[in-house]
Amino acid sequence: MSLKIVRIHNELLGTYGDQGNAEVLAYRAGLAGIGTQVVDISYRDVIPHDGDIYLLGGAEDAAQILSCAALSSGALHGAVEKGAVVLAICAGFQILGKSYFANGSEQRGLGLLNMTTVPGDKRYVGDIKIHSDLLGIDLTGFENHGGKTILGAGLDNFGSVIVGNGNGDSGVDGAVLGNIFGTYLHGPVLARNPEFADLLLSRAHGAPVKVEDSLADQYAQLRRKVVK
Amino acid sequence: MNLRLQAAIAVAKSAGFLSKSLGRGSGETLPGRILLALCPDAISLLSASRVVILVSGTNGKTSTTKELVSQIRTVGTVVTSGSGSNLTRGVAGALMQDSVFAVLEVDELHLPEVVAATNPAIVLLLNLSRDQLHRMHEVKRVAARWHEMCKTSDPSTLFVADIDDPFVNYAITGAASAIRISFGGAAGGRHPDGAVCPACGRYLDWINGKYACECGLSNAYADHLYEQGSAGYRNFVMASHVADIAGVHNALSNIALRSDYRAMERATEKVFAGVKARLRLTKNPASWDEALAGVTGDNVILILNAREVDGIDTSWIWDVSFEPLRGKRVVVTGERGIDLAYRIQVGGIQNTLVDTFDAAIAEFGIGSVQVLAAYTAFFELAGC
Repeated sequence: MSLKIVRIHNELLGTYGDQGNAEVLAYRAGLAGIGTQVVDISYRDVIPHDGDIYLLGGAEDAAQILSCAALSSGALHGAVEKGAVVLAICAGFQILGKSYFANGSEQRGLGLLNMTTVPGDKRYVGDIKIHSDLLGIDLTGFENHGGKTILGAGLDNFGSVIVGNGNGDSGVDGAVLGNIFGTYLHGPVLARNPEFADLLLSRAHGAPVKVEDSLADQYAQLRRKVVK
Repeated sequence: MNLRLQAAIAVAKSAGFLSKSLGRGSGETLPGRILLALCPDAISLLSASRVVILVSGTNGKTSTTKELVSQIRTVGTVVTSGSGSNLTRGVAGALMQDSVFAVLEVDELHLPEVVAATNPAIVLLLNLSRDQLHRMHEVKRVAARWHEMCKTSDPSTLFVADIDDPFVNYAITGAASAIRISFGGAAGGRHPDGAVCPACGRYLDWINGKYACECGLSNAYADHLYEQGSAGYRNFVMASHVADIAGVHNALSNIALRSDYRAMERATEKVFAGVKARLRLTKNPASWDEALAGVTGDNVILILNAREVDGIDTSWIWDVSFEPLRGKRVVVTGERGIDLAYRIQVGGIQNTLVDTFDAAIAEFGIGSVQVLAAYTAFFELAGC
């Protein structure tokens, strides 16, 4: 079985290096003997329903609005209903909610997650470290956003903030609902936190995936040590 | 010259001299800082009596400014800012000497402030792309500031712009006076960050480096059209256009005569422990792409740091394709060398990660090597 990894609107959602998440997933899957196909879907393309993993990255305001409009046709909703894994970072995470702010006004989101994003009191820029109960580890990354995300009922956070801001001033970062994962961690997050990459691969593969990659582990441990 | 300014310059100059003789830094930005502290309007007072030309953009500021200075020196005295001292203090420091022309590179975010203070004759706008996002936040944000600057600056200021970059093209819409230069389209077929029209927010379709938005923003029509070429060539053409306007003879006809643009790169050669190294500055996705395309030998050292001027976030290295290094012997080092080593490992490029530059050189032992170095590493190694 080969995993289909769908990288959504990379030309719009590729401003902060998050496209590397697709490369890391394909690389680690390869080490585990699992075949992958990375499919780039641009703004003008139709989004396939049969992906196993969908990736959305960070973006500037105008790009975020365009991407969200293109996704409102419902393709992502269909894939989620079929159990696809979604990893959404920063601006890509915000558009999964009910509403978000861009270009100075409130925009309607995709409504996949019960949350809203409003302008923060400042721009949140810097190294971030969170603890994820789901993974049982600390994760590190870099955040760079102006939004404050407020999680609604029935929605878990992805991690509690140790260093940085995450969703704003609530002390938590991101959100998790079933196979949908949202976070403010750039880095890319899967490059700096290989355990998270393996979790997503396991969910998509339907069986545990554990990869041996000493440089990835060394890199992850180093970042966890220095971000404090 | 007014007395307050004269006194401030005297104090600033001696402080710079003192700092240099005491070995406390190059003495480049300290005099400017002191001058601005003693006389906050020094930049505008010192600009009033000369022809000011400013150069800004994400990449190529320093080498383009250097080229422009050497051309304009043929028609008059020139002061310029030292290598990379492109904030207001560097500008103030440069203006302390008398001259006919002042040719200054200016940081993208500080440009509006410096334009307002100097009332320049010409502003050369090279390009805008992702760089130091922890400080710039968004490319669009910088373009919007430039746009406001062009709209509100004195009508006598002439903006010379590369309109193949939609951010630069957007910036000059509304400028009273502008020269639009095109190279027949953006290098590589599209601007790497140009998926959205900076003027109206619509999706921007690219065909062979060309764009034409419904709102009217387009690089289809230019005042001057050139062939495509390397970043060094484009910067040389832009510099020559400004030199022509400033009165340099044959500045434009020289463009056709020149074929080697290696001197336009931020590069230098040096020998380390018997290994001949060609050092090149690389600082963001656009400059890495340009530098990687120019790697010719089989031996390569990559250095990544993440200090303030390097950009404290390293995520952008995943936007760079390291394919040109496939099959070469690659050694990675730097304070964030591990970030880069892992990135290129995932990209399928075998490499060796070492702790120090000396160790990287020792990996080769003999022969020659190309070194692509982050901003701070480049200046440490180049010793300038």
